[in-house]
Amino acid sequence: MRSPLRASAAIAAVILAMGPACRRAPAPSPDVVALRVTALPDSPADAAWGEAPEHLAKLIPQDLVEPRLMTPSTGEVRVRALTDGARVAFRLEWADASRNDRPGPSQMVDACAVQIPQKLETEPPAPQMGEAGKLVDVTYWRADWQASVDGRGDTIRDLYPNAAIDHYPFDAQSLEKGSPEQAEMAKRYAPARALGNARSGPRATPVEDLVASGPSTLTRVEPQGSRGKGVFGQAGWSVVIVRAWPKEVVEGRRTNIAFAVWQGDRNEVGARKMRTGWIPLLARAAQ
Amino acid sequence: MARVYNWQLGREMSYWYPESRPKRQFAAVFDTNKCIACQTCTLACKTTWTSGKGQEYMLWNNVESKPYGSYPLAYDVKLLDMLEGQRWEGSTYAGQTIFESAPAGERVLGWRPEEQDYSYPNVGEDDCAGQVDHGAVIQIPHMSWFFYLARICNHCTYPACLSSCPRGSIYKRQEDGIVLVDQNRCRGYQECVRACPYKKVFFNPMTGTSEKCIACYPKIEQGIQPQCFVNCIGKIRMAGFISAPDQARADNPIDYLVHIKKVALPLFPQYGLEPNVYYVPPVHAPVAFNEQLFGPGAGAAMKAYQNAPNDMDLAGLLCLFGSTEAMVAKWRRQGEQIYGFDEKGGELIRVPLREPVHIRPGFDQRLQIIRTNCP
Repeated sequence: MRSPLRASAAIAAVILAMGPACRRAPAPSPDVVALRVTALPDSPADAAWGEAPEHLAKLIPQDLVEPRLMTPSTGEVRVRALTDGARVAFRLEWADASRNDRPGPSQMVDACAVQIPQKLETEPPAPQMGEAGKLVDVTYWRADWQASVDGRGDTIRDLYPNAAIDHYPFDAQSLEKGSPEQAEMAKRYAPARALGNARSGPRATPVEDLVASGPSTLTRVEPQGSRGKGVFGQAGWSVVIVRAWPKEVVEGRRTNIAFAVWQGDRNEVGARKMRTGWIPLLARAAQ
Repeated sequence: MARVYNWQLGREMSYWYPESRPKRQFAAVFDTNKCIACQTCTLACKTTWTSGKGQEYMLWNNVESKPYGSYPLAYDVKLLDMLEGQRWEGSTYAGQTIFESAPAGERVLGWRPEEQDYSYPNVGEDDCAGQVDHGAVIQIPHMSWFFYLARICNHCTYPACLSSCPRGSIYKRQEDGIVLVDQNRCRGYQECVRACPYKKVFFNPMTGTSEKCIACYPKIEQGIQPQCFVNCIGKIRMAGFISAPDQARADNPIDYLVHIKKVALPLFPQYGLEPNVYYVPPVHAPVAFNEQLFGPGAGAAMKAYQNAPNDMDLAGLLCLFGSTEAMVAKWRRQGEQIYGFDEKGGELIRVPLREPVHIRPGFDQRLQIIRTNCP
């Protein structure tokens, strides 16, 4: 049997080893409180996150509009937020047993999103993607986009290593490799890309800026400079999303925020998601 | 859900959107009895539309050997198994469609093929329905059977893909009823892949969107038949526009075959989509099998087709298949000549009911030489 003295000493050693961050861990917050800082971290592992209070957001299945998510999956998402006054960084963390970042037939990918009302109003829009006349801004992160940003190539072999391809028309010898003519030809065989609908392929950021005014209205907008980074670890995903701080939310005022999480291996995509209702969002100076 | 009328079921049914028929509906007739599964149609489509990255596995057009062939794997039997009790009372469908049997939370009863389900595009090729025993000889009817089923998107009147898309990214064109995926709006949720019972919508992992047969609409807009039609070696296909049953015109080739002669039937009408590719059923396959695929009219259609040698109109119209690249809007038989016309009544093509026979005697009297067929 282990001696009580030795056990206490071991616990004390662990606490000491965890360092000052552990000792300063802020209490959980009922709101999403963005702590004012001078520089926003890009990495989910940045020490600055340790200063921000954590909000534990309970997730519920999207079961209001078809197709609904009938079986709940992710129970909660842990949220921390930091702001420099102009921008806000959120760190979303949720438990996920498998990394799903390869798109394909019946291959859904992990994802998350934050949603903020476009205008500060007494009555916020419907939390389910807003409503007509009451738009919401959505910033959406996806695991396959993260893989592209992290260096995954843009060939079918990057998705299916054993794929055998005889020939693509845009690889014809008459087209100089890397030339504008070749790029133009390749576009003809990728209509979504030709239209600027970058659902897949090379990209500079793993996030996308969108606007919505109710279910089925989600529309991408010109990039607003949002960025992000997701890292998959043993416990699941840890994702940073950086976007503009809502301008109307000045000192002493608060707005609302909602979160959504998709788990690829649960076939969650689009409306089949786990989501929150509105949660108060405010900024606060570091103490 | 709205209530809409589906003439193929002989009754109203539930659908996600109210009835909204296009001004004209693209339609086609495929004669399964002529198909030799050369896959020229498949290649014509492949080289025209799906040669890009992420489209490697896609076959907007495929030809499968029935009863065992299927692409993607088991696309037909899987849903037939899910959709219980497909009972017909005469020409009225008494069972449930895939819209009416949608589970809670879904718009459509469906399933999504796994990646490996696309790995066997020609599974079951030329496999016949039963054992061919030792000592078997050819006899009519055949001891065993198989046939080729060429498939494209059915550009359904009530598309399941369209109804399932939560974003409204799929639309049906008013001018010709062709069903398209808006590549600018699609976000690759694959709800359409799950919903389409014919599995003719495909997810492209390199664009992140779903893609499907477009019925070669740039050609149709110019009055020309799609690539898989004009390249068909067996001349099994005819493209055109179909009228509602109560407005059928005898001089419209599609109307004549579908509504008047009832020799061409929809594929799996019991699903409830009112598909617009119509098949002349294979006359050597069992009626029961054809009824499961093509509905209760299969037996009569087989008899009508078998009677074609005595039916100069039907035989004549079948001669127009593959005779011209143009869409034949109207047709007429005059004696042993069959005429195809465009919409303005201009003559497009004239074919004989019977090809003239030339007999070459083995010995040419004029040249005093023996003619043989051997080199």
